[in-house]
Amino acid sequence: MLRPFPKFTTDFTAHSDLKGPTMNTLFATTTILDNSTVQPAARIVTRTRQHDMGAVTASIRSEWIKVRSLRSNRAIFGLTVVAGVVMSWVLATFVKTDPYEHKAFTVANSFMAATWLTTVLAVIVGILMYTSEVQHGTISHALAAQPARWVNVAGKATVAAGVGLAMGAIGIVATFLSGLASGMPLGETSTMPAVAGWGLALTTMAAVLGVGVGMIVRHSSAAVSTALVWTFVLENLIRNMAPANMSRLLPFSAANGMLGIRSAGDTTKTLAAALSSTQDALLFGGYMLVAVLVGTALLYRRDAE
Amino acid sequence: MITVSHLTKRYGDRLAVSDMTFDVAAGRVTGFVGPNGAGKSTTMRMMVGLTRPDQGDVRYHGVSYTQLHHPTRVVGSVLDASAMHPGRTAREHLRAMAALSRISTERVDEVLHEVGLDTAADQRAGGFSLGMKQRLALAGALLGRPDVLLLDEPSNGLDPDGIRWLRTSLSEFAARGGTVFVSSHLIGELEMFADDLVVVGGGKLLAAEPVSTTLARGETKVVVRTADTAELARLLDRHGVGVTVEGDRLTATGTNLAAVSQVAFDERIQVIEITEASRSLEEILLDMTGATAEFAAA
Repeated sequence: MLRPFPKFTTDFTAHSDLKGPTMNTLFATTTILDNSTVQPAARIVTRTRQHDMGAVTASIRSEWIKVRSLRSNRAIFGLTVVAGVVMSWVLATFVKTDPYEHKAFTVANSFMAATWLTTVLAVIVGILMYTSEVQHGTISHALAAQPARWVNVAGKATVAAGVGLAMGAIGIVATFLSGLASGMPLGETSTMPAVAGWGLALTTMAAVLGVGVGMIVRHSSAAVSTALVWTFVLENLIRNMAPANMSRLLPFSAANGMLGIRSAGDTTKTLAAALSSTQDALLFGGYMLVAVLVGTALLYRRDAE
Repeated sequence: MITVSHLTKRYGDRLAVSDMTFDVAAGRVTGFVGPNGAGKSTTMRMMVGLTRPDQGDVRYHGVSYTQLHHPTRVVGSVLDASAMHPGRTAREHLRAMAALSRISTERVDEVLHEVGLDTAADQRAGGFSLGMKQRLALAGALLGRPDVLLLDEPSNGLDPDGIRWLRTSLSEFAARGGTVFVSSHLIGELEMFADDLVVVGGGKLLAAEPVSTTLARGETKVVVRTADTAELARLLDRHGVGVTVEGDRLTATGTNLAAVSQVAFDERIQVIEITEASRSLEEILLDMTGATAEFAAA
């Protein structure tokens, strides 16, 4: 158990561990180390625009520590690998032929098969990066330490992008290797880099979109269920009812487009209305941007929980 | 040194904090007291920029909190001792906080030691007792070597040893020139180590003064046990002293021990017991905030 309580040894006149150019230059000109009283004037530095810009890297480091230190995030990475491995194995062993294209599966035409699931997982990771902080009250630590709230958003969005990219990459690698191991032929490999590129762009943006959704909704279960219901239910309903040139503008229609996914719901009309991969990517990026900007505006408007 | 000026916060029709102005001096421990719903938490949240005031501001050495570069290096705060992710270890929790304010990881180990959590540093906070959470929260406040500490109910959940340790630590912190602003509903505890009090009720400032001044607000009562209460009461009344009698016990207000015993001696009235009872800080504060007690239920 706990040791007996030692005394606070905090001597707030010793600043040797505080970094940052402004503080350092100030302390260099202040001889307070041998003094046992506080010299507050030396500690007071007014925040500037430059400070805020420079603080983004500090926020990124902090957010990375937060992501890395949670078992749930490691579990989601594990799940991404498992999904890829199982997907290739099932396609190679049981399905064997693409039901829409009527072509035999090869590693080259199926190595992105699990990316859609990775995308959904990336949205959830992004959501939880924000909502778990609201749930446990830790967001107030971040906002108290960095009153320029956009800096916290920038840090979170950057780390979320990195995590989304990493999830996409390991998911693709797992699917690819599992395909080879399951005895699939390699197939035509020339299109693989481009296909993988769009997939990685999608998982990257999906995680950032999740941060935006989390900032807007703020409650973990509400935000995750909103995202899942939207993705799996509402979009499909709308797609069945709305004209093709409107339903193609839905966020996960754009996601499907980026992955080149055909589904049972596709008709000649929907296929004819399909956007190019670049257009789909810009569209999905637009949704991501709107979510993050709305979330940031709300973060400034609302009092921190 | 904290300067709170004209701080005001409205939630719909309710004025949670109304035009609050007070200073918190450096080198002293200041207690922040008031009934539930008096606006203590809202005030403390405004003091660290989490809640935006409708009017007024809070300045530290003349600079508003939200304008401070690395505010946690000036002001360490614990507003919610349970604000930590249960799945994260104490060390990782502090490292994430330290990184945001560009504080070294060595400092993390240092504060873990200071609050007596070094052996629990790599345990997940989800398994912590409330007392351990309080200490982890305090470690987070100390990270930036601030010279101002803002603590909301820091002794909540601490065992008696922990409370004594906290009290000594905060007093020493103040003795070295630090500013300590601490809210507590345990008035008796505050009385033991606070130098100043900020008393609020119903969102309004009721007093900001040294504890001794607050104590002086309480009238001293002299309680006398005597065989002849009626006679002593009559004599004291003639001297303009307020008297109440209950059995063989007489209570005199607006006077002192020496005066009452002198009257009894002069008139040869036998006194069996005579004591002076000053009112406790708690009673005085209850009287001060009594007018706003309807907020306690809100």
